[in-house]
Amino acid sequence: MKPMMRQGEWLGLYVASVAVALGVSAILIRATGGDSLAVFDALIEGSLTGSGRWGLTLGAAAPMLLVALGTIVSARAGLVNIGQEGQLLIGTAFAVYFGFRIGGPGPFNLVVLLVAGSIGGALWAGVAGVLRFRRGVPEVLSTLLLVTVASQVTAYALGREWLLLASNSVGARNNVSEQLAEDNRLPNLNIFGNQIPSSFFLGVVFAVIVAFALARTVWGFQLRMLGRSPQAAQRAGVSQRSFGMRAMLTSGAFAGLAGTVMFAGGGFQFSNYKFVPGFSGNIGWTGLLVALVARERAMPAIAVAIAFGALRTGSSFVGSTGVEARVTDVIEGLLVLALLVPPAVMFIRDRRRARAATTART
Amino acid sequence: MSQAPPDRTGVDAHTAPTPAVDLRGITKRFGAVTACDSVDLTLSRGKIHGILGENGAGKSTLMKILIGLVLPDGGSIHIDGEPQQIHDPLAAARLGIGMVHQHFSLVDPLTVWENVALGEGSRLDPGAVRKRIGEIGDHYGLHIDPNARVGDLTAGLRQRVEIIKCLRRDPSIVIFDEPTSVLTPEESTTLFESFRDVVAAEGRAVVLVSHKLDEVLAATDEITIMRQGRVVEHLRTMNADARTLARAMVGREVSLRTERAALGLIEVDEADESLAAPAAASMDREPVLSIRHATAIGAQGAPVLDDLSLDVHAGEILGIAGVEGNGQRALGDLLSSLVRLSSGEVSVGGNVISTRTPGAMTAAGVGVIPEDRHDSGVVLDMTVAENLVLMTPQQVANRGVLDRAKLARRAEQMIAEFDIQCAGPEAPMWSLSGGNQQRVVLARELSYAPEILVAAQPTRGLDVGAIEYMTDRLRAAAAEGVAILLISSELEEILDLADRIAVMYRGAIVGEMLRADADLERLSLLMGGAAA
Amino acid sequence: MDFVNGLWDAISTASTYQNAALFAGLLIFAASGEWVAERSGTINISVEGMLLSAAFTSAVGYTVTESFVVGICCGVLGGMVVAGVQAEMSHRLVADQFVVGLTLNILILGLAGFLDREIDLTTKTAEKVQIPLLHRIPLVGDAIFDQPWPFYLLFVVVPVSWWLVFRTRWGLEVRASGEDPQAADVSGIDVNKRRRQAIYYAGLTSGLGGAFLLFVQVGRFDEGVVSGRGFIAIAAVIFGGWTLRGTVAGCVIFALALGLRLQLPRYYEGVPTELLQAFPFLVTILGMAIFAKRVRPPAALARPFIRGLK
Repeated sequence: MKPMMRQGEWLGLYVASVAVALGVSAILIRATGGDSLAVFDALIEGSLTGSGRWGLTLGAAAPMLLVALGTIVSARAGLVNIGQEGQLLIGTAFAVYFGFRIGGPGPFNLVVLLVAGSIGGALWAGVAGVLRFRRGVPEVLSTLLLVTVASQVTAYALGREWLLLASNSVGARNNVSEQLAEDNRLPNLNIFGNQIPSSFFLGVVFAVIVAFALARTVWGFQLRMLGRSPQAAQRAGVSQRSFGMRAMLTSGAFAGLAGTVMFAGGGFQFSNYKFVPGFSGNIGWTGLLVALVARERAMPAIAVAIAFGALRTGSSFVGSTGVEARVTDVIEGLLVLALLVPPAVMFIRDRRRARAATTART
Repeated sequence: MSQAPPDRTGVDAHTAPTPAVDLRGITKRFGAVTACDSVDLTLSRGKIHGILGENGAGKSTLMKILIGLVLPDGGSIHIDGEPQQIHDPLAAARLGIGMVHQHFSLVDPLTVWENVALGEGSRLDPGAVRKRIGEIGDHYGLHIDPNARVGDLTAGLRQRVEIIKCLRRDPSIVIFDEPTSVLTPEESTTLFESFRDVVAAEGRAVVLVSHKLDEVLAATDEITIMRQGRVVEHLRTMNADARTLARAMVGREVSLRTERAALGLIEVDEADESLAAPAAASMDREPVLSIRHATAIGAQGAPVLDDLSLDVHAGEILGIAGVEGNGQRALGDLLSSLVRLSSGEVSVGGNVISTRTPGAMTAAGVGVIPEDRHDSGVVLDMTVAENLVLMTPQQVANRGVLDRAKLARRAEQMIAEFDIQCAGPEAPMWSLSGGNQQRVVLARELSYAPEILVAAQPTRGLDVGAIEYMTDRLRAAAAEGVAILLISSELEEILDLADRIAVMYRGAIVGEMLRADADLERLSLLMGGAAA
Repeated sequence: MDFVNGLWDAISTASTYQNAALFAGLLIFAASGEWVAERSGTINISVEGMLLSAAFTSAVGYTVTESFVVGICCGVLGGMVVAGVQAEMSHRLVADQFVVGLTLNILILGLAGFLDREIDLTTKTAEKVQIPLLHRIPLVGDAIFDQPWPFYLLFVVVPVSWWLVFRTRWGLEVRASGEDPQAADVSGIDVNKRRRQAIYYAGLTSGLGGAFLLFVQVGRFDEGVVSGRGFIAIAAVIFGGWTLRGTVAGCVIFALALGLRLQLPRYYEGVPTELLQAFPFLVTILGMAIFAKRVRPPAALARPFIRGLK
């Protein structure tokens, strides 16, 4: 098939799918008495056009991007890690714990936070890694189960002062950590009047690094080989145990880092520099979705993360239109489902064409 | 447009009874490749038909069309005179067409009776199925325990289950697709005899699909020969001889030993002195590869390698003969660092190599052309260039970063040297034909200048030309001093190439002989497990 | 010692079992269907979504008709709609089953929360039915045999699930599809169709589970009515080694842990509630780690089947 026609086919499918998703959303909004156009306007204003919203959107996208990058690394190694939500929580817990315990000047503490967060996330993924490479437990199951364990562990820690609880908290209703001091926070960069969190640039830099490493380095080559053919990899000296484990740890580290930048970057609706119950706000799951929607490629993940981030920041403006803000979750879900359709359809069409199957002529 | 092939059956089309199957003009294309080109084929009841052709001739595709796994692009199918369309295996079964599959038809964790019952449309009645298995077992002499777990059975017994599964549907047409690789020569003979029972007593049509001349000559009534997707000849077996068949299969006179071997002609009597010499010379020196008392436990808890010992010397080709499923796979995997020994050791060049340590064998100079290249030989999603440096990408990298130019240059060099047909170094591996993929594996393994090269089923699935190329290369490598361990379930290949032959049975070496002393009967007995 | 005493006190109280039975009911409904789905080779992560959707639709059904039967049927419908998306996208359109499942969970949660604020739902629990004699069994009798009548559907769902998988041709084909889809395909079985059907069955049982939540356990709809228990059901299937017996046992054990979570703090304060909440997951992970070699998932689990591709 001619390349131009193929591009056209792809584009057409994507446009159609997105249109259907938005259409269904609009119908849903109308059906409950809302004004769908107003909702979409609010979304756009809340995420992009409103003053300062750009920055918030990028700030929301940053942790999603980081989680997605980690997912991409483990996916290339042939591992199915769906526990980012849990790795994010544990990573942040580590960051909070060591951040407040180890004193030091602002920037130094910030680095401590980021490092501790990465280590925490890596360790949590490492548990699943050990289970996989020593006991053969499928990581798709262990990482999933560890998510709930992680949320319980952090809930426990947040209830105890010797762990994470702020020492001046009143009553058991608000189990939160202390708030991060100003000089320990991730700075924002002022571009064209927008406050853009540095976490976003961190994410982009990492995206470039990951893309380069996977495509152009020996490590990336070996990782890809491991993912596609573990037997060939074993022959070549690339052991599942060490390489696969490293990929898992990296994946967890990214998730932990994501949580840490949420904590230290303040950002949009991220609990104001405190570690609270429900902190992760589904960023882990969303980051996973970003990676999958971006077909496991690092550079496209940037754009996809921004799109998802936009949905998040946009949703806060939706409430003012009289429609329940939760509708953005619905729009997000529908969009993801819609975006899954084009690759699936193209895949099937390609196979049909390749087989050139027509019924026999009698 | 094809000419009608010469019909030497001597049967007058007008007076013959309605054939069970009549394929006319069947055509099937996969992309640019024409697998079947206007194929005509008639199968009659009460006859054993042979469909003969080298690998890639189109016989598998034709059978897949008949069994409903592939839809043809053109042509017609008539069953008992009625035009039919076969959309899927269930439809084929309803029309009375059954196939005894080679692989991929039995579900291991299920029992024999569950597997036999698989795929029918009716209500599940375990008692009736078990009873039927007993009946078929008694009738054809194919006894088996219906409650046994298929995963626990040997290859020969699994084939038995396949046959029972096929016969249970009471098919009018029974297709056997390359059935003998899992059988010893003796078992093959028994199988062909049972064809007679199935056919003569019950008026079915039996089809034997094979690339082996002598089998087809021995077992069939009529032979159809396919080459490159077309039917090139059709004759009565009594009027056929090896030479005519070989010529029809390959398209020219066949004279080289290798070619004849590739076509399944076993020639043990040929006294060829050139064979004896190289082996004798190297035997005095220290072996390059030495395996001592190797024992490895498989997934089921039973040993896959059982106190196995062998030596291979520089410049010699040691052929490991044996029926598939006796540990050959494990032996290949052992030398690919994929299997850990529970006892025993492997030494290369006098140094003991740790088993299952990733990359240890490769680092020690063990090259491997694996049995299933898609498992550990190539990575289909990577490019040709990447596959050519699979084991040591560091060689084309600077401080961890791949040097694209170097990678491409290296690839081009190897593509030229080994005449690999592909779109270029950046072509994805999956776009290459089987023969060319095998060339990539060969090129890569030889490029590391191995001390010993393990070739496991190296010519499986290749056409005669590719087989010739591979065997020439292996011989050339041996001549340059590489020790070669040839593992093959095709006896013809071993007899063609090996200097020394060892027979493998149930994970151990049960007998050895020089090629010059090889004797078919003794080999057959050893392969079947009888003491030599 | 205190712990042991406290534990003993807790397990001697009928209310522990009362709570446990209600938790177990939900888990068993969801896990039976999930078991069938996983036997066919697919991991259906959207169980959460199915349960929530079913809970919502059964509430709607009851609000409109004041009939429990209609409510239950609506619940089943709700579960099967979610199953429809999961099944068609994963096994007809070859999308990634994890993405689809996770997205559905997020989508349904948002949808339920959204619609809940817009619509007024009035529901209540169904009438209790007391089984004579059996309900007198000490401690557990009331918990199991004196419940709102939809509870007893459990005793139908479990045997039916077993019978379907082991006594019918459909079940044989489902099992073959989960163990060796290539062989099943060559033998004439439509692997993806069986997987879709298995997911629909999971939608059905989860539909009953959602209705159970509404009409037996809680009595009214809230978007947090499921909150993670769909995942516990998945854990139960794994914990049970992909056998139905084990799955049900897992559900019971996990439910007891959840029941204890509510009761134990009255008698003994030392066990953190978070531990009890995490208990099902920890136990499952431990079980997998210890029994890894012996317990085997269906060989083709979570691997999509496309003819021609390995």
